[in-house]
Amino acid sequence: MTEPLIVVDGVVKRYAVETVLDRISLSVSAGQVMVVIGPSGSGKSTLLRCLARLEPIQRGHIFIGGALSAKGTEEPESDPRGNIVRGSSHDVGMVFQSYNLFPHLSVLDNVTLAPRRVLGMDRAEAEAMAIQLLKRVGLEDKQDVFPSRLSGGQQQRAAIARALAMTPRVMLFDEVTSALDPELVGEVLKTMRGLAEQGMTMLVVTHEMGFARDVADEVIFMDKGAIVEHSSPERIFDQPAEARTRAFLERLLEREGGKRRGA
Amino acid sequence: MFQASSILGYLPDYVAGALLTVELGLVSTGLGVLLGLVLALARRSRYRVLSWPTYAYIEFFRTTPPLVQIVWLYYGLPLLLGFDLGAFGAAAVALGLNIAAFLAEIFRAGIAGVDRTQWQAAQVLGLGFWDTLRFVILPQAVRNVLPPIGTTIIYLIKDTALASAIGTPELLRVGQLVANETFRPAEALTVVAVMYFVLTYPIALGFTAIERRLSAARA
Repeated sequence: MTEPLIVVDGVVKRYAVETVLDRISLSVSAGQVMVVIGPSGSGKSTLLRCLARLEPIQRGHIFIGGALSAKGTEEPESDPRGNIVRGSSHDVGMVFQSYNLFPHLSVLDNVTLAPRRVLGMDRAEAEAMAIQLLKRVGLEDKQDVFPSRLSGGQQQRAAIARALAMTPRVMLFDEVTSALDPELVGEVLKTMRGLAEQGMTMLVVTHEMGFARDVADEVIFMDKGAIVEHSSPERIFDQPAEARTRAFLERLLEREGGKRRGA
Repeated sequence: MFQASSILGYLPDYVAGALLTVELGLVSTGLGVLLGLVLALARRSRYRVLSWPTYAYIEFFRTTPPLVQIVWLYYGLPLLLGFDLGAFGAAAVALGLNIAAFLAEIFRAGIAGVDRTQWQAAQVLGLGFWDTLRFVILPQAVRNVLPPIGTTIIYLIKDTALASAIGTPELLRVGQLVANETFRPAEALTVVAVMYFVLTYPIALGFTAIERRLSAARA
């Protein structure tokens, strides 16, 4: 058994007095896809943000690739990222709900900026790599276009290429299809399926249950900052052990009115 | 009667004055932009040792007259520190310090106007603070606030006329001297006004052109 790529150990995250993550522990092995589901406010996005080192944690530890990534501290901080271990901060790639592409840069420059500045690649090398990545997400003909000229689905695929350009060991997806028009969801999910098939380790927060069922190796159901159920997709969708999981899935099915969308 | 002909002979003096005005404008704009940027960042700092003095600086220079600031630097600095900048130097530095306060507020607004998620996206990619600022935040911040930056620089060009008070032979000063010699103040100063227009209008056009180009690139 190899050591897990991600270890989250007893993580507590609070905003002022509100506990957003309450002693979360989990581990993800290399090549695994873990899908996190749960109602809004359950802490699932915060969990990803802590893994991406965007948020400090108050207790617990996060290890990525065996190395300490963040360590909890209760001390009031002058530096909001004070307890985040610095260095190699690009082993985690993250894709956001609102894409967050750099609007003043072309698609190509969006992808090459970090490799050039952080990895020290020269322009030719970075662009050659970026063009490969853009092919992979189906945007090879959009490299000189500015983000505002792209559809939401195209922007999100460009954001995936941008994250991949740093060759992360883990990719985090934070509700990446929630802001998309329904007909654009499929193309982004397809890109993510492709990544999963190629062995990328992924943590995916999503409401796309079809994707979760097909692609996830494990599914976590979170509610009120805690992991309520952690199981295989078959088990969690067909025979959820917890009443809260069942209630959540029923509400979700009701809302979707039975019509499945996306890939 | 309005007689422009009576002062045409002074045109070379006007041109020399205009050149000095341009020099004053360039030096103080350069100083103002650099210092303004530093102040804007310091003002946003979470460290109070940085943000409070910056706040005091900005409010002090925004709320006192630039003419007085020029006089302080010209007469006060040699008295207090035994340090003489000369008329041009005192005027350029005072105007630079003054415009820096205004530009700092504009830059600060521009930076604040860039969505927080841009910082986060850059951070997750591993970009450090300075790289994020330089390649992600400032390019967006500056284009958000190009119109007020242009207006501030145009104000500054006209404010260089205050340097005449300490004898710098810039454009307004030339106009005053010509007026005294010819007893034709209306004509002498109208030429001054025309020349300020010739200096400042291209700045206005330039900023509009940059804005249009940038928004075309983004659309």
